[in-house]
Amino acid sequence: MEHVGKTLQNTKILDDLSLTVEPGEILTLVGPSGSGKTTLLRCVNRLIDPDNGTIRYNDRDIKELPVVSLRKQIVLVPQDSFMLPGTVHDNIAYGQNIHGCYDENIIKQSIIDAGLTESFLDKNAEKLSGGEKKRVSLARALAIHPKILLLDEPTNGIDPKVLLNVEENIIQFVRKRDLTVLWVTHNIDQAKRVSNRIANLKDGTILNVQTTHEFEWDGAY
Amino acid sequence: MGIPYTWQEGLIILAVASILLIIVILISMYKKLDIGGEFVYAIIKGGGQLFIIALFLTLLFNTEFWYILIWILIGTMILVGGYTSAKRATHMPKAYQVTTPAILSGAALSLIVLAVSRAMPLEPQFIVPLSGMAFGNSMAICSLTMERLIREINLNKSAIETMLSLGASSKQSLEPFQRLTIRAALIPTIDRLKTLGIIFIPGAMAGLLIAGTDPILAAEYQIIVYLMIVGGGIVTALITTGLSRKKLFTDYEQLENWIYEL
Repeated sequence: MEHVGKTLQNTKILDDLSLTVEPGEILTLVGPSGSGKTTLLRCVNRLIDPDNGTIRYNDRDIKELPVVSLRKQIVLVPQDSFMLPGTVHDNIAYGQNIHGCYDENIIKQSIIDAGLTESFLDKNAEKLSGGEKKRVSLARALAIHPKILLLDEPTNGIDPKVLLNVEENIIQFVRKRDLTVLWVTHNIDQAKRVSNRIANLKDGTILNVQTTHEFEWDGAY
Repeated sequence: MGIPYTWQEGLIILAVASILLIIVILISMYKKLDIGGEFVYAIIKGGGQLFIIALFLTLLFNTEFWYILIWILIGTMILVGGYTSAKRATHMPKAYQVTTPAILSGAALSLIVLAVSRAMPLEPQFIVPLSGMAFGNSMAICSLTMERLIREINLNKSAIETMLSLGASSKQSLEPFQRLTIRAALIPTIDRLKTLGIIFIPGAMAGLLIAGTDPILAAEYQIIVYLMIVGGGIVTALITTGLSRKKLFTDYEQLENWIYEL
């Protein structure tokens, strides 16, 4: 991302933001509410476009790629884990059906990778608990074999007892599938646990990017 | 047959009828319903329009150039209908680009079928009221569709973005809400169809009865007219939701900015 800027409803959300994510790494974005973390993720898979600056994927401006194929490779898992009407299976199969690559085995593998069992597949997705919905939305993303995952607070609202478990699941499938992850969190401890590098975002721009070992929390993002 | 008094005598009856309206306005003021002003405005505007159209029709029925006037009348119906429905979608930029063709196609389809089937002889006394019904109904359905569609999109931004993030096209992500919207917009039409003759005697039949037509023939005619108009209404709803897609999404399968500002 080079010099990315975005203004929404007369408020500058992203301001001359530049950041590079290396292949295969988990980079967490930390920062206070309203610092532009979610907006940045939405720009990366083109749910919105930045007003200025460029975002490149494999050295190509993402605007040059067909948007549907971009979203197959760079999948956003939004914070609210919205479940589409129907079963868990319907939800996980949704992306596959869209891209014409339906595969029952991959659906089963995805739900297991996301930390649930196959028995969930027939359940009504809208009636799951918050934590289960988070996992289904992860499985839904995994099922279309993305290269990059954009995770927006993937453990937000999850019972603290299972939070570490979900983190562990994510780290495992990221390694297994060799994914690159841009992970938004407001939880510094989580950022330290899960990431290779931590980018500190404030007022729409990156203050610094540090490796997890050198990251020092100064209490003010 | 027909109305058993002259128009001058009618003015007295109109004054009597207005007493009821005044009572309604007084009640609404007492109850602080805050609709009194709008009600008076609507009555004056609506009444004024009816008198103007009456004068226009008097001219129309008495000139050999009636077909020119009919085209002017239909053109006005298209523009006013498109503009009125577009106002239901205040935030959508240039919404008339959706509403005008949608109303035109639905109403034109019903009128063409009515004309071809000989239910509407090409004479002004048939064309004018039937056009009014067809355009009026299409406009009502178009307004309902616009209002409902925008509400659905606004309420379901998360669902739509979830589908888009997984690679769905704007068409695919809009489809479930188009279905919901069309169904909802047609509910009043279907309910009216179900209760035809029970809750109210519809316009065409009422007119025919007042003019002395045999009730069976009047009912049959009303059904023919109604079916054509319902068909036109469905076409209007379909075209409204279809054309709206271009206003709701960018060319890059993103929701348009104005939706986030709702």
